[in-house]
Amino acid sequence: MLEIKCPYCGKRSQNEFSYGGDANIKRPKLGDEVSTKDWDDFVYFRDNPRGKHSEFWHHVSGCRQWFKASRDTATHEIFKTARLDEDL
Amino acid sequence: MNPEMIYLSPLFNDHKIGNFGDYKNKNQKDLIKIKEITKVNIFQVAKYKNSNIKIENINMDNLSFPNKYPEVSCNSETRILWTGPDVWLIITSNQNIEKEISLKLSEKDFAITDLSHSRAIIEISGKQSLDVLKKGTPLNLNSSEFKKNNCSNSTYNGISFILDFIDEDPLTFRLFCLRSFGGSFYHSITDAALEYGYVGE
Repeated sequence: MLEIKCPYCGKRSQNEFSYGGDANIKRPKLGDEVSTKDWDDFVYFRDNPRGKHSEFWHHVSGCRQWFKASRDTATHEIFKTARLDEDL
Repeated sequence: MNPEMIYLSPLFNDHKIGNFGDYKNKNQKDLIKIKEITKVNIFQVAKYKNSNIKIENINMDNLSFPNKYPEVSCNSETRILWTGPDVWLIITSNQNIEKEISLKLSEKDFAITDLSHSRAIIEISGKQSLDVLKKGTPLNLNSSEFKKNNCSNSTYNGISFILDFIDEDPLTFRLFCLRSFGGSFYHSITDAALEYGYVGE
């Protein structure tokens, strides 16, 4: 069983969490002229790296908080987790 | 409540009184006991992110609000559970608490939700109640990690629930789940308890 360390609750089973996507994606700034390609990149296109990856996770069956995790997509090793206002 | 309305508890159609499972040739005192808890008030208190209020300065029923996982503040009538950062559940049989909440927790700082009728509550007690819980939840329930007056959110056979450790002697836990999941949750718990034998009270 994979264990994930929630920054608020400590180590808990993966069953309690839900994956929330790539944590590196930045929304285009409001009010700026945004090209269709930039919107496409933001909405649809994601990198699919083999190795270290920054991700959002949601402790959906726990404290219901979102947080960031740095995870190896090949080995599933989780290097670090952090609150949204902290750096990974 | 309208006097013509009939109060039906969340497990009205599910909870059965009597002995079940492998209870024969066992001392009645040693069997697991399962009962439904009704008529308690449940209030969720959530502090707004932009509020500057210090929760440490507020008492409810002479209890402070716990500020980290897995703490519970309690007295004989009221338990305050930490369920997330700046989110608490007040579970109480004290009928005056609603007044106290409206006096002490202002609308501009806190979101208060009355969840009294939205949760099914099961109390399970007895030596083997811990084994019943371990069958379905991935929580670490070892005594070094999870003690009396601790609480946690987790899942039991995939159903989200809140576990509140009430007492060590006898081992007693309260389990809260969404009312609509109450039937499935109750059957999950009682199925797991069959091999030990249990008493529905």
